[in-house]
Amino acid sequence: MEQDNILVMQQVDKTFDRVVALSNVNFELKHREILGLLGGNGAGKTTLMNILYGLYRADSGKIILEGKPITILSPKDALRQGIGMVHQHFLQINNYTVLENIILGSKVSRPFTNNYETEEKNIQQLCERFGLEIDLSARVETLPMGTRQKVEILKTLYRGVKILILDEPTTNLIPQEVDSLFETLKIMVREGLSIVFITHKLREVLSICDRITVLREGKNVISLTRKDASDEMLVRAMVGDKMDLEKSIMFTTRAETSAETARKETISLVGVNKINAQKIQELTDISFAIKSGEIFGVAGVAGNGQRELAEVVMGIQPVTSGKVIFEEKEITSLLTSERIAEGFVYIPEDRLADGFLNKTSVAHNLILGYHKLEPYSRKGIINWKNVNDRSRKMIAEYNIKTTGPEEIGGNLSGGNIQRVMIARAFSQPSRLMIAHNPTRGLDIPSMDFVYQKLLEHASTGATTLLLSEDLDELLLICDRIAVMYRGKVVGILPREKFEKYEIGRLMSGFDLASN
Amino acid sequence: MTQIKKIFPYLVSVLAAFVVVGLLLWVLKFNPLKAFETMLFTSFRTPNGFIQTLLKWIPLTLTALAFTVPLSSGKFNIGAEGQMLVGAIGAAAVGIIGKDLPLPVLLPLVILAGTLAGAFWGLISAWLLYQFNINEILSTVLLNFISFSLVDFVATGPWRDPAAGHPTTVPIGEGGFLPMLVKNPPLHSGIIIAVIVAVAIYYFTSKTTAGYELVVTGANPRASKVHGIDIKKMFLFSMVIGAACAGLAGAIEVSGVHHRLIEGLHSNFATLGLIIGLMSRGKNSAVPFVAFFISILEVGGSAMQRTVMVPVQIVLIAEALILIFILLSDIVKRRQK
Repeated sequence: MEQDNILVMQQVDKTFDRVVALSNVNFELKHREILGLLGGNGAGKTTLMNILYGLYRADSGKIILEGKPITILSPKDALRQGIGMVHQHFLQINNYTVLENIILGSKVSRPFTNNYETEEKNIQQLCERFGLEIDLSARVETLPMGTRQKVEILKTLYRGVKILILDEPTTNLIPQEVDSLFETLKIMVREGLSIVFITHKLREVLSICDRITVLREGKNVISLTRKDASDEMLVRAMVGDKMDLEKSIMFTTRAETSAETARKETISLVGVNKINAQKIQELTDISFAIKSGEIFGVAGVAGNGQRELAEVVMGIQPVTSGKVIFEEKEITSLLTSERIAEGFVYIPEDRLADGFLNKTSVAHNLILGYHKLEPYSRKGIINWKNVNDRSRKMIAEYNIKTTGPEEIGGNLSGGNIQRVMIARAFSQPSRLMIAHNPTRGLDIPSMDFVYQKLLEHASTGATTLLLSEDLDELLLICDRIAVMYRGKVVGILPREKFEKYEIGRLMSGFDLASN
Repeated sequence: MTQIKKIFPYLVSVLAAFVVVGLLLWVLKFNPLKAFETMLFTSFRTPNGFIQTLLKWIPLTLTALAFTVPLSSGKFNIGAEGQMLVGAIGAAAVGIIGKDLPLPVLLPLVILAGTLAGAFWGLISAWLLYQFNINEILSTVLLNFISFSLVDFVATGPWRDPAAGHPTTVPIGEGGFLPMLVKNPPLHSGIIIAVIVAVAIYYFTSKTTAGYELVVTGANPRASKVHGIDIKKMFLFSMVIGAACAGLAGAIEVSGVHHRLIEGLHSNFATLGLIIGLMSRGKNSAVPFVAFFISILEVGGSAMQRTVMVPVQIVLIAEALILIFILLSDIVKRRQK
């Protein structure tokens, strides 16, 4: 039978330190199917696949490929067995060409020369066979995300894989690129490959996968074919029984229209330009105004100036020209600490570099930026009893998994570090919240919790600037979305006009290219 | 239990260092047990041994703090030696110029002058860092060399003591002498100052908002900046405080021990201070205790040379080995995870 299993993983266990990542997980992949491996962050999807790809070793369990038990000790082993993986973060050398990136690390026919004609021909053939349109002589840093991902896929195809694992492949793609990726996947299956598609997005599995396996907290929940699956079933499987779906933001639809417009503007940027020390223009002529109670989203492919925008508003980086106005006062030259005193709150994108203190306690982390405020301190003396009491409350409310306020921050997992940042941000009454990818690394109930908090925060009349690479997130809770491309705001859409493909088009700069 | 777990690697490191040193002594045909006995117990056998230990403890604690306080904010002050010497120069200069002043006036002036002179020496590096982003490790080390020449200049200049066979100044006024706590063997009151400074620094870094800012800057300067802390100011501030500690150590040596500026009065205090700082892993609160342990070894080491004829350098080897083993225990701990 054609539909026999090509790969089976049985009773896989994996523990990190004391955290159980996988317990007794079974996994089956059939010939020529696209299997959706669904689950929230921390469900164990990526861990399971990293074991298959030889990046981790399972504590126990079996891997059976085409009926034969195999051991995989390294990615090299996995590739030899025909198993390839495309990670969320591409492993590419920016200033190499596509061709060079693909053949890097593989044997070439004429070593000691720069002559790769044979390889080029082979790769060209692969491109044609799988309908991938890629210029092999282009340097990868010049390519858009969607194409760079296809280079990664091509890399595995070139190494002759039969099984391809894609880890959250749609994360950095615009909707058009997602469609194109799905087309490629369909061709690959037709050409005889079997594909594992790791994701936390329901829509995607329902639109592309033949079968769906759901993991939650390191355990199997269900496995079923697409025609047996329903939205509700999968949601329940992903989030478990504990989450109250009625109250949820993610699984209920919000009103199509934006918040009332009679409110006054709280923060506005007027013609803001920013040129960095290397003379690179990072922000160009940015102007917008956000009203109180509004959630103003900023969409864009990562690295198009979102971070610079957030830091300019927060006063971490100076503007080169232009004005920032908050509640009718110009604050362009105000220090970050003064803005914090004005009620600014920032959840930075890069939590390890910009938001978290690995070497100090959880309590130190929870008061960072607010340490001069009561009840944390008075007249320059910190009241550690108050700090620890408040910390314990935050740990409970935000479900941070830690032994207590005194635990060293470095012991926390990524998701819990994110919870610390969220807890810190919402621990203070604020008038402007700047949140950059606030739900990154969180499981589904926690993501939903953050959305509830953001909406609650907006309902108090506070302003929110939400920068996110997750378009679904922005579509879900924003009143307006601005799209950034190469440091410019290329369009601002109100909620009534939200349309995925339109935003995708703006994100990829199509408008600018045609002008 | 956890406390024992925390101390365990240190105990093993000390033990391992002694085993290696023991082997070394054995190869050199000394009696290791007798040498160790002298090394560890001299401090507690006679009042003199104990007071010698305390006298070592004062400059060691202060120079170690000169290293660990800037380290709290993530900066490396390798210039405690120079800061101590310039502190000593400052103290001696005020003590000589104002030699007729009474004790209540002169003593505070001498101590203050030394502290400020040390702080000033650190401020040079700190300012270069603040203004031009010049690496503080380089500038503090290089300023050490200048301070050596500065001591020579002062000790052989107009204040030179012609009776001494070694570059030395004339004594400071008696009003600048630190009063003795114990007459015989002599223990001066500098120890009170050192204890106060150690406690104050502990209180500052763990209980005040400014100290909190210092610690978080050291933990992650970028995140601290993002959350509104002026990290450059923290770097400057911590370097100056650290240097002031070293300057104070110099002033106490002048005012309490030598009563004049002598070339070479810095001994190897700053080097040991660095080792103590590293053994304490930059924890200000651990410094006084580690410094006490090292003082015991230092005093025991010189006794060992006198009684068992073991060269005093063995002690430095032991201290270095302890540090190496402590650093190794970090790697072992990481591997276990």
